[in-house]
Amino acid sequence: MPDIVTATDLTRRYGEGVAAVDALAGVTVAFPAGALTAIMGPSGSGKSTLMHCLAGLDTPTSGSVTLDGVELAGLSDKALTELRRDRVGFVFQAFNLLPVLTAEENITLPLTLAGRKPDQAWLDQLIETVNLTDRRTHRPAELSGGQQQRVAVARALVHKPAVVFADEPTGNLDSKSSGEILTLLRRSVDDLGQTVIMVTHDAKAAAIADRLLVLADGRVVHDGDAGDADQVFQVMREVVA
Amino acid sequence: MTSLTLRSLASRKLRTALTSIAIILGVAMISGTFVLTDTINKSFDDIFQAGYEGVDVAVSPKTVEGLEGDTGPVAEPLPQSLVARVAAVDGVAVAEGSVTGQVSIRGKDGDAVTQGGAPNFAASVMDERFTPFRYTEGREPGADGEVALDAKTAKDQGFALGDKVGIVGEEGAKRYTLVGVAKYGDVDSLAGASFALMTVAETQRITGRVGQVDEIDVAAEEGVSPEELKGRVATALEGEPVAVRTGQESADKQSSDLQEQLGFLRTALLVFGGIAVFVGAFVIYNTFSITVAQRTRELALLRTLGASRRQVLGGVALEAFLIGLFASVVGMLGGLLLAPALTGLFSALGFDLPTGGNVVAARTIIVALLVGTIVTVLASLAPAVRATRVAPIAAMREGLSEGDGRHRRPYFATFLLVAGVGLLLAGLFGGGSGGQAASLLGLGAAVVFLAVALLSPRLVRPLAAGIGAPLQRLFGLSGLLARENATRNPARTAVTAAALMIGVALVAFVSIFAAGLQGSVEASVDRAFTGDITVLNTDGFSPIPEGVQPAIGEIPGVASSSAFRFAESRVRGVSGTVAVIGVDPEVAGSYTATWKDGDDQLLRTLGDDGVLINNGTAVGDAKDVGDTLDVLTPTGKRVTLTVRGVLDEGDFDLLGGGMVLSTAVITKEFGVRQPALLSVAFDDSRPKEQTRKAVDDMLAAQFPNVEAQDREELKESQSEQIGQLLALIYALLALSVIVSLFGIVNTLALSVFERTRELGMLRAIGTTKRQVRRIVRLEAVITSLIGASLGVVLGVLFALLVSRPLEEEGFVLTFPIATLLVLLVLSALAGIVAAIMPARRAAKLDVLEALAYE
Ligand SMILES: Nc1ncnc2c1ncn2[C@@H]1O[C@H](COP(=O)(O)OP(=O)(O)OP(=O)(O)O)[C@@H](O)[C@H]1O
Ligand SMILES: [Mg+2]
Repeated sequence: MPDIVTATDLTRRYGEGVAAVDALAGVTVAFPAGALTAIMGPSGSGKSTLMHCLAGLDTPTSGSVTLDGVELAGLSDKALTELRRDRVGFVFQAFNLLPVLTAEENITLPLTLAGRKPDQAWLDQLIETVNLTDRRTHRPAELSGGQQQRVAVARALVHKPAVVFADEPTGNLDSKSSGEILTLLRRSVDDLGQTVIMVTHDAKAAAIADRLLVLADGRVVHDGDAGDADQVFQVMREVVA
Repeated sequence: MTSLTLRSLASRKLRTALTSIAIILGVAMISGTFVLTDTINKSFDDIFQAGYEGVDVAVSPKTVEGLEGDTGPVAEPLPQSLVARVAAVDGVAVAEGSVTGQVSIRGKDGDAVTQGGAPNFAASVMDERFTPFRYTEGREPGADGEVALDAKTAKDQGFALGDKVGIVGEEGAKRYTLVGVAKYGDVDSLAGASFALMTVAETQRITGRVGQVDEIDVAAEEGVSPEELKGRVATALEGEPVAVRTGQESADKQSSDLQEQLGFLRTALLVFGGIAVFVGAFVIYNTFSITVAQRTRELALLRTLGASRRQVLGGVALEAFLIGLFASVVGMLGGLLLAPALTGLFSALGFDLPTGGNVVAARTIIVALLVGTIVTVLASLAPAVRATRVAPIAAMREGLSEGDGRHRRPYFATFLLVAGVGLLLAGLFGGGSGGQAASLLGLGAAVVFLAVALLSPRLVRPLAAGIGAPLQRLFGLSGLLARENATRNPARTAVTAAALMIGVALVAFVSIFAAGLQGSVEASVDRAFTGDITVLNTDGFSPIPEGVQPAIGEIPGVASSSAFRFAESRVRGVSGTVAVIGVDPEVAGSYTATWKDGDDQLLRTLGDDGVLINNGTAVGDAKDVGDTLDVLTPTGKRVTLTVRGVLDEGDFDLLGGGMVLSTAVITKEFGVRQPALLSVAFDDSRPKEQTRKAVDDMLAAQFPNVEAQDREELKESQSEQIGQLLALIYALLALSVIVSLFGIVNTLALSVFERTRELGMLRAIGTTKRQVRRIVRLEAVITSLIGASLGVVLGVLFALLVSRPLEEEGFVLTFPIATLLVLLVLSALAGIVAAIMPARRAAKLDVLEALAYE
């Protein structure tokens, strides 16, 4: 499998002088297509920062990132925006949706933004998959947290992006809803061949991944198969002492 | 609590500034108006005081309070013989008759000398102790062919001693030799007015007052007080139609007369300032509502920590007070800048006002500070009270409760609407005086605006849907989001739009009304002006010299000419004044009146005691032919007139709106000598174009400030005058519109701030900056179009209502559709302009920060 996202010698420094924080201190990593990668690590270890740099939301202090064959360094804000719109899907921990749009409108947002029409069959299938068929015209305020997050997942998939980034997508959910979201992400990889990169604190969530990446102090301290929840737990205990 | 308030104000400088501007502009207009009118008053006061400096007693023609016209002298001048009688009074050192009259001084190029439109005068030379003029070059004119000019005019026009100066007076143009240049007191000119000083006899001739003087100035002998001398002179002139005053009293009277005339200007300008403040109140209300809502959590936290409701109320009220005070101070200072700008605006539109150094009275400062502060605090009261209702538990809850409780049944708003319409009707049909009616109409309109603003949250959704639909079709998602954002908080959008609605409604109303006025005047001209030309002053309203009519009469091809003269009178049994129109017997040859009882022949036979009344213009009990009227004229004479016929002229017709009598009566009894206009009919003895050309040539040579207009030209110039006034009103209303635009800026900026996280998410998933900007821009367009469409509807309704009682007077209501459409388009554009800053801020949001924003 070719790599869909690669990062080379990535550093990201916040602040200057003595107060400077190296959120990323030299990260080199590649993400093969069609795999689900979980990123774990203690709070403040640089997980979100890495994800933001990989997705073109943040500019690394040094190092390079390529996404779907495109070198991100030097791209204009407009080019980066369009890259995100067309080739990246996002699921955030919360506040994923526009309150003024219906569930369906939220789902099709990336397409609408690009001025494209959704393929109706694909859309129906997607909404069916996230089990929101009877909620299409509901506004976010009328949906439960789990349902909202399923809308977010559908939105991340609707334009068949090169890669989906999910930052603690289950962080705000109960275990049942979490399970549903994780299942959806897993199925998107298995059934659709989607590439997913997910940041999580939850060993059970990481266990659905094909691969586990662990960060500590802005460095990659573990890179290997995820295994089951116990194994993940084990790894975490070992590498983050 | 206080320091918290201060800190929160300081931490939101931009918002504080934007909010302040809402009040600053209105306050600036108010203080600017005071500064402007005080300055004009002051500069004239100085002039009047200087003019009476060496004068102990002044004798002038008697006039009746309230009947003085505002153009030209209305009083019959005094006979020159009185001067000798005054001189003979015991204790009089010197008595001298003086003559002053408006003329037109020509520059070297032959054009009229105008310094910002200030008038030109011819004045008789006077004894050294009376005259305010001091010669800096040459000498006083001693012969009839000589003239002296004020220093400024001489300098500006490049005249040197010995040059010929053309001056146009009552009998046409004449050239004089410049023999002197004089300063007025120690300044070069008198508030920009130009003076030509001449011998008494020549001044009498050029102003058409041979054997007469306007005023007799008297100096007392050593040891005789002005008061004492005034008594003696008054006794000596017992029974003459004169007013005897001390020099000081005369100066004071002139000042107070002027104040009265300026009073109208002041009131009119203050009204526009008041409208701007009213609109500003909406903006303040909205800003505070939004900030209170956005600070719900903070306020709840304070309450949880033990802050009392009073402390919360006090905090918000203090914030309003500080903003109001700050805005008032800035606005008051802004008024100093605005005063000259207003003068500039007036002169750009052809209305010139004299100026001097700014006069800032204590009253200006007090009124400006009070109005600005009180309005701000009042407007913030409702949001402040709402802030006290924030429950401590809200600290834990997500959500903005602004606008809650506004979906109660709209009893209050409906009540206000009914009350407002009631006030409007009372103003229109209540039969109060002009001032009362205007106040009722103004109050009614304000109450209606408030009511509609309160009702409008209900209208926001349907209107936004209507306006948003085409936008969505054009701009897709951006249009959809803009519409949804605009309706997210209907109360907020409604108040924002209502502020703009007020300005737009007034503009719409005024433009509809002006269109109707234009149409009505044109219809009247078409119907009644059956002559070939009308002759009038080039400024469109000043009277014309008496010599014009005889000069035109001599031109071959002129069949008849008739002068129209205007005056005011009091009629026994009628409150207020009644307009008087004096006409020549020949008027029927060039003007066709409409009659209820009588025909045009009656105009020929009015004689010394005949009068025509108008159907619909009440003159006491007189209703029918044969009734008599007891009339007091501006010169204090009483005349008894008999009704000879009843006209049916509308207010827009030349003979409408008052009573008509003969030229003989209006010149002799009313003291009105100069015609306001002439209507002239040509005969067929030679081609009419040739006659017209002869008239034009004669006027150009002898009376350059008089022009002839055929019917089309007359209509055009009337339209032009209405258009000029309209432009002035538009410019003044623009202030309120600008205030409401700041309201839009403010609301959008606050909304953008509130939606930071949403915008961050949108940007993260690939919304371009352009798209973000467009969403904000379109929201502004929707908001402003909601306001503008409500405004146009209200403006139309107002026009329909106000024109009702005028329809009988021949008012033809017409809707200037194009103007109204332009108004809508301009409003949409204004919305785009208002959105520039908020849109830029929204687009500039750092995506990561926005996402992390809490
Ligand atoms: N905007 C910023 N300015 C300064 N420092 C920052 C900024 N954003 C992140 N950091 C710092 O960079 C480091 C990495 O932050 P990051 O958000 O990537 O951690 P994380 O692994 O996602 O943590 P968490 O599990 O708590 O979300 C932290 O020390 C954080 O304080
Ligand atoms: Mg994180």
